[in-house]
Formats: sequence, structure tokens, C-alpha cells
Amino acid sequence: MSLNSLLNSAIQFVKDRFPVDKLNYHYMVEKKEVPVHKMSWGYYTGGLTMFFFMIQVITGLFLLFYYQPTVSEANVSVEYINKYVAGGSLVRNMHAWSSSCMIFCAVIHLLTAFAMKSFVKPREITWIAGVLLLFITFTFGFTGYLLPWNQIAVNATKVGLQSIEYIGEYLPGQLAEIPRIIRETFQGEASVGQSTLGRFYALHVVILPLTLVSLLGLHLLSVQIHGMSQGVDVPAKKSEKFMSIFIFKDLSLWAFIFLCLFTVSLCIPFDSFLPYPLLAPYNPLGSTPAGIKPEWYFFFVYYPLELLPFWVILLASMAVVGVLIFTPWIFKGTTRKTLGFITILISIYLIVMTIFGEQIYELFKH
Amino acid sequence: MTNTLLFIVLPYLAVFACAFGSIYRIKKEPMSYSSLSSQFLENHGLLWGSLPWHLGILLILLAHILAFLFPSFWQTLTSNQVLLMAIEAIGFGLSILCLIGLVVLGIRRLTSPRIQAVTTPMDLLVIALLLAQVGLGAAIAVHCKWGSAWCSGTTTPYLWSLVLFQPDLSNIEDLPILVKAHIVCAWFFILIIPFSRLVHLFAVPIEYLFRPPQQVVWNNSRKLNEETPAFAKEETRRHFLNAFLGIGFGAFLLSVGTLSKVFSFFFGPRLSEKEETELMEVRLAHLESTVDQKKLELERQASKYIMVAPITELNPTAGKYFIDYKMQPAIAFKGKDGYPLLISAKCTHLGCTVGNKVDSEGRILCPCHVSYFNIETGQPNAEAPAKTPLGHLPWVIMDEQGKVMASRDNKGQTSCFVQPDALSAGKVYIAKSLEDKTT
Repeated sequence: MSLNSLLNSAIQFVKDRFPVDKLNYHYMVEKKEVPVHKMSWGYYTGGLTMFFFMIQVITGLFLLFYYQPTVSEANVSVEYINKYVAGGSLVRNMHAWSSSCMIFCAVIHLLTAFAMKSFVKPREITWIAGVLLLFITFTFGFTGYLLPWNQIAVNATKVGLQSIEYIGEYLPGQLAEIPRIIRETFQGEASVGQSTLGRFYALHVVILPLTLVSLLGLHLLSVQIHGMSQGVDVPAKKSEKFMSIFIFKDLSLWAFIFLCLFTVSLCIPFDSFLPYPLLAPYNPLGSTPAGIKPEWYFFFVYYPLELLPFWVILLASMAVVGVLIFTPWIFKGTTRKTLGFITILISIYLIVMTIFGEQIYELFKH
Repeated sequence: MTNTLLFIVLPYLAVFACAFGSIYRIKKEPMSYSSLSSQFLENHGLLWGSLPWHLGILLILLAHILAFLFPSFWQTLTSNQVLLMAIEAIGFGLSILCLIGLVVLGIRRLTSPRIQAVTTPMDLLVIALLLAQVGLGAAIAVHCKWGSAWCSGTTTPYLWSLVLFQPDLSNIEDLPILVKAHIVCAWFFILIIPFSRLVHLFAVPIEYLFRPPQQVVWNNSRKLNEETPAFAKEETRRHFLNAFLGIGFGAFLLSVGTLSKVFSFFFGPRLSEKEETELMEVRLAHLESTVDQKKLELERQASKYIMVAPITELNPTAGKYFIDYKMQPAIAFKGKDGYPLLISAKCTHLGCTVGNKVDSEGRILCPCHVSYFNIETGQPNAEAPAKTPLGHLPWVIMDEQGKVMASRDNKGQTSCFVQPDALSAGKVYIAKSLEDKTT
């Protein structure tokens, strides 16, 4: 293949994904139709994830007014928000609950999009942007977890960062140093301390949001250009207008979810599920308290990591990331039935590991 | 005698009459088994009377039934002060709602000519009795407060004694006359159910809630001619304006409420002097611990020796935490040989801080992923996720004058320059010169 034809096919690829003649309000909004069938609910999961992200941005901005990212002040300022600021604990609870909801919805969105085969041509870019958005969302969770600077936060971060270094054992020669260098770049110093807090803070409040918003722009743009995917094998007979039927249904769902989130945040503090010693301010001179674990949404990789040799997890996660990114090409010819079957298997794994991970761990370890 | 008549004979008579009378009526006159709707005849008064009345009485009856059926549950509820207040307040409010509804219904019965045509003396008796009964209930709520709490020790056992056919009046004999009247009145109600419109109690149209909506369409020509468009032009505008005003006002209230909360969030708390002091103390403690941490770092950069502890303070089973020259945690024990035993506390698995309590097998535990390390050898147990041993740290023991009494280098070689008993006067140090060589 000559360079010229390669270039031409690259241009054609972009042209197909971003057809310029469709980049207008009429085509992207007025004309857009949403198919109605038994999997239609899948179309709402993405919007819901975005809604939770919007809540994260707003409540995050609120928290920024009082949070102080230094090792001596971080925990006190979080306590201050909880205890003294009017509505502070509500805002903080909403931020915490909504972060979990956002990750939950993002995962559901990924699974439904996979099962509905929404990634085939011309939607490859949408899919890849979505996968990257999911990774960013997980990074949000990881970086945000450290900020309250309590025992569980700092120790879980220590463990998480140290795991990176383990990769070095499987790399040859000088490459073995790279994971350590990566870890120390994120950590900023020999152990988790002020530099780490500063770096995670910068990531969590500036860099990740900017990256997420730009990728989200790309994701939404391509969703609007190409319209909703068909979703089922037999094209749905019914469909509804995106503007204003679908969007109003979307909005009313958001309103209902907001009511639920608000009520839950008002009544149940997010950290009420953890015993106090884990929530006490971080003490660099004491022993690590028992029961350090990451947030629930990391259980599906955390408990296998505890049970299996590190290289198994390493290979498996590399494989999963590879498969996720190249899904549009790998599963191009797979039927929706098979995809649905795979999705169910993955869902069962995720649910079992998240809910029963600890029991499974206890079962095999003791 | 009167008590027996009113509180034992009357109840059984009433329940018997009610049961048999109702069954007889539904067998003989099934079409009369309702409250004889008068909605066709008069609608406006019915709306303002029937709705508040039924809303109120249904909830009040529900509470009465709950208190009767689940006495212990009800007692738990009412023993909570806040809940008790809420129950009493709601109950009283509902009884007022009932009274309003009854008064409207009564006036309607007495004034509307169309209703008068279908009104029987029994209907008027029912309304009068209901007014009396609800009035008595409301009066009890005011004069004999906390009835929802004391009922579980008085009227509930009385009712249960009737149900179990072992009538026992001891619990209600001494109740105030208001309460007794309320009870007697209630039995009268049960007695007259089959003879009045009250039978509709047993014909609750629950399926109405789930059936598809129905609309009555008139079929005769007169009605068709009278038919007006659903909304006349004038009406449309009025509806729009009303809705607009209503929604606008609601939105205004909502935004004022939200904004005031948002404002007070950003305005920030104004702490009392006590709170301010407390907060300041916590802040200071945190700052001090940071300062200590920085001092430790500085000390480790500047000084050749760092004191760990006087040798007498070391313990073979409960270690003392300290920070080594690399700013990593370490633990000092007293070894079996009587010399200090300094071991790194940074787990070789994922860097958690290992615990300082030695178990019966001479091991310390890293709680993160359950690795046991032998303090003598530093080796983790076989199943532990940690694979490499914890390192031992070299140390020196010096006396007050800074004279080295004993030391251990990074290869584990111990040298002692004084009599072993003299060591107890010394203090354990870690030395920069020794540690620099360890890797």
C-alpha cells in the first residue's frame, strides 16, 4: 500500500466518523430519533452518568471553597466542612455518593453499549472515547479517595501506588526501574506525603476534569452525529423524537434520581460504613489499622489481586484493557446474542466480586 | 352493673348484630350495600366534605387498628418522645379535618333540597353520632393527653380481653368519663352499621385504584347540545395564567430557599468562642505533628546519631516505633540476647506499617494483607504475600557522655565494649554512618 492510499484511507476514516455535512443543529438535534424497544433503557445510562458528573462538578466546586490540600490541614478542613459549614456534610455526602453512582452508571453504560453492539462502524471513536472516560472516572475515584487524608485514605493509596512498583519485577534489565520511577512521579517523594497530596489534588480538581470534559465533548459530539445505535437485531418499529420527547424523559429521570441522591445524602453519611479507626486522621508514626481496603468499585480487581499471583492479574488487566480498546474491531462480526451472553457473564463476575469478594477472600485465605 | 352492661354486653351484642346484620343485608338487599351515592345530586359540598372526612378518618382508624393489633410495636413507637409528639399532633390535626368534613356534610344534608329528598333519619343520626364521636376523640386528645401512649396499657388490654372471651374491665374502670363515652359510642357505631349507610365500610372499592380511568359520556341529545368545548377561550387564558402564576411562585420559593442555603454555605460558619477554641486546638495539634515530622527529617539530615530509647524502655513483646534515617517507620524490641533488636516496619509487600505487638511465635503482623514476620530473622511466613524479609537496623548504645558501649553493624555483628550489666544505663541510637552503608 502506497503512502498516498494510506493517507487517503486515513482521511476517509475521519470523514466517515465526522461527516461534516451532518454537523448542524437540524441533523444532530431536530432530526435525531431514538428507537423504542426492550433495551431502550440502555440509552438513558450514558445521560445518567453525565448527570452524576455534573453533580460532581458542582459539589466539587462547593467543597473547593473549604478544602485545604496540606497534610496538616486536609483532615481538619474536611471535618470543618462536615461539622460547621451550613449544608457542608450534605454537599460532601452528595459528592461521595454521586461519585459511586457515577462509576456504577458508567460501568452499566459500558456493559449495555457492549451488549447492544453500539460500537460498530461508524461509532468506533465514540466507544474508545467512552472507554477512556471510564478509566478517567476510575482515576478520579482513586485520587479523590486520598484527599480527606485519613488512615484508610493514605494507607489505601500507599498500597495502590506500591502495586505499580510490582510490575517492575516482570520487566527485564533497566526497564525494571520504570514502574518505580512512575510511582515516585505520582508520589512525589519517598513515601506518601505532602507532595503526593498536592499532586493528587491537582489531578483531581484540574487535570482530570479538563481531560474528562474534552473527551466527553468528543463522545457526545459523535453520539449526536451518528444518532442512537440500533441496539437490537430487528430494527425497532417505533421511535421517538430526541427533541423533545427523549430529552424530557431524560430530564425527568434526572430529577427523580436527584431526589433520591439528595435524600440519601441527607440521611446516610457515606463513610458510615467504615469503622472510626479507619477514618481517624492519618498517623505517620503508628501501625496501619486493620481493614484497609479500596472503594467498593475497585473490589473486582482488588480481591483477585489478593488471591492470585500478581502476574496473573497483570496479564489479565492488560488483556482486558486491550480488548476494551479494540472491541470495535474484535467483536465486529459477533452477534448481539453472543455479546449479550458475554455481558451477562461479565456482570455476574462483577456483582459476585463486588458483593462477595471479601467472603471469597476469607474462604481461600483461612 | 352499668359498666358490665356498657362494656361487656353491649360490645358482644354490637359485634354480633353487626356480623349477622351485615350478612343478612348483603343476602337480602345486595343493591343497598353502599352509602347510596349522592354525587349526582350535589357535587361541590361533597368534595369539601367527603374528602377531608374520609382522609382524616381513614388514617385515624388505621392508627386505632395498629394500636390494637400490634400493641408492642405501637408501644415501641410511642415510647419515642419525638414520634409520640408527631403521632399526637397528626392525630389531632386529622380529627380537626374530620370535624370540618362532617360539618360540611351535615350542612349539605340539611340545606340542599336535592339531598334532603334522599335523606333518611338514620343518615342524620349517623352524622350526629359521628360528630359526637370525633368530637370526643379530639377532646380526649386535648384533656387526657398522650392517649396514643396510655392506650396500650388500658384500652388495648380491654379489647383483647373481649376478643379472648375473658372480659376484664379492671384496665378501663377508672378512665375519665370522656374516654368511657368514646368507647361506648364506638360500640354503638358497630351496632348500627348494618342498619345504616355505614355498611359501605365493608364494600371498600379498592379495585377503583387500579382500574383504567372511565369517563361518563352523556348520550341524550339535550346534553349533547349543552356540551361546551373543554376549555373556552377565556378559560384557556385563565388556566394558563393560573398555572403560570402557580409554577412561577413555586419556583420563586424554591429558588429563594435554595439560594439562601447556598449563600449560607459560602458565607461560612460563624463559630462560637468555644467551637473556635476547640477547632484551633485540633488545628494546632495537626500542625505540631507536621512540625515534629519536619524536625525529624531535619534531625536525620543533620545529626550523626538519633536516639531511639533508653535501653531499659525496650520490651521483648511490645515494640517502640521510631523513624529511621530514610524516614521510614521501624520498631525497636529487646532481643533474646538482651541487646536491642531494631527491625524495619515497612512491609516488604506493599509498604504498610507493620504492627508492633509480638505474638506467641515471635512474629509481628502486617494487617494489610496478613503477613507475619519473625522478628529475629525478619522472614515472612510461607503463605504471606510478602516474600522478602524485613531488614534489621544497625545500632549503637552510648552512655551519657557519648561513649559507645556496644554496637551492631549492618551485617548483624554485635560488639560490646563494657560489662553487659553496665548496658542498662545506656541509650539506644541509630547511627548515620552505619545506616548509610546499608542498602
